[in-house]
Amino acid sequence: MNKIIRLPVILCTTTIIAAGALAIVNNLTKPRIDAQKKAALQAALTQVLPRAKEGVIVPVKRSGKLEYYVGYARKDTTNKVGYIFIARGKGYSSTIETLVGINTAGIIEGIKVLHQLETPGLGAKIVEIRHGEQKPWFQVQFIGKRKDDLTVDKDGGTIQSITGATISSRALTNSIRQAIEELEKKIGGFAKVDNRVKPDGKNGIPCITGATVPSLSPVRSTGKASSDR
Amino acid sequence: MSLWYEFSKGIYKENPIFRLVLGMCPTLAVTTSVQNAIGMGIATTFVLFSSNLLISIIKNAVPKRIRIPMYIVVIASFVTIADLVMAAYEPALHKSLGIFVPLIVVNCIILGRAEAFAGKNRVLPSILDGLGMGIGFTLALLALGLVREILGNGTIYGYPVLGSGYNPMLIMILPPGAFLILGLYLGFFNWLDRKRKVS
Repeated sequence: MNKIIRLPVILCTTTIIAAGALAIVNNLTKPRIDAQKKAALQAALTQVLPRAKEGVIVPVKRSGKLEYYVGYARKDTTNKVGYIFIARGKGYSSTIETLVGINTAGIIEGIKVLHQLETPGLGAKIVEIRHGEQKPWFQVQFIGKRKDDLTVDKDGGTIQSITGATISSRALTNSIRQAIEELEKKIGGFAKVDNRVKPDGKNGIPCITGATVPSLSPVRSTGKASSDR
Repeated sequence: MSLWYEFSKGIYKENPIFRLVLGMCPTLAVTTSVQNAIGMGIATTFVLFSSNLLISIIKNAVPKRIRIPMYIVVIASFVTIADLVMAAYEPALHKSLGIFVPLIVVNCIILGRAEAFAGKNRVLPSILDGLGMGIGFTLALLALGLVREILGNGTIYGYPVLGSGYNPMLIMILPPGAFLILGLYLGFFNWLDRKRKVS
């Protein structure tokens, strides 16, 4: 009888001591972990919408759930430069979550895969950074594209899919296209004119509209945007 | 001299991976690159060292019947500490190791050393045993990660070594590659052992 009481008491005391120690460690590391998370989010947001770097990025929520972010070039929330949203698509072995920055004219400014568990060496190449490069080559392709350009080459589109990983490539591409469609409904369509002050040659944002600013990039200059929008 | 033996046995003679074949789950899963191997190795060494230390101190107060749950509580606490510290200071590594950091709790090397060594020996030999086993584990992970990263990705620690013309053997960073390389290593060490015994 004595044992029945003694053993649980010892085990219970041990777990209480362990819990106390963990609470202390958690308190010590929590500020840093939170700061890391916040910094990572902020870095990701400005990475996909570089022109909002000097300004602010404001989350838009509906009934407590994040819908999208709006980026402004100035701190006083004037000079709207674009929107940021998260696209989710079912890949080969995981749900691929991508942060997408799009300007007010509906042209993608940058994307960043937030979460993926695709096959290493195949699907995981959506986040591969080749040596000597700064950004993942697969994601860089999306910069300067419009919703209608977003299909992989095998489906007759402009996104070069990864060899051996068509499912992952297609999942990412299609999820972004669908997310843009949803965003369009929420914000009531994109602006007709590209409001960018000046395309930055260094960042290499390809100019597609062609009508308002001279094209710097040979990527695509179809004038399509000015005709159908 | 026997203290030196407690330390060094984990590195070769009783290497947890190549000789005892323990802790296969993290071994096979995280050795896709040198960086992951080192990160996992250091985290595991920390947990081995700390749990061996604490368990050898409290061993006389631990009732025999509930020693396993108590060891697990100790180990899980240290793993959580390692997990939190890694998230705070090495977020990139923490992200790339993912679920395998919390899974150190069920790494059988750690409970194995607690049960087989730290629960029966004094503090100093236990610390050395934990460190030696941890280092042996790290070196073994490194040996696997090195081969797999070179063949499967053409790089070492992210730096290309085989030139841009090299077409990576994808299978090496996929799960079958882990089994293949591990099998070859095990065969090699068995061969080495047999050769030493003969001579």
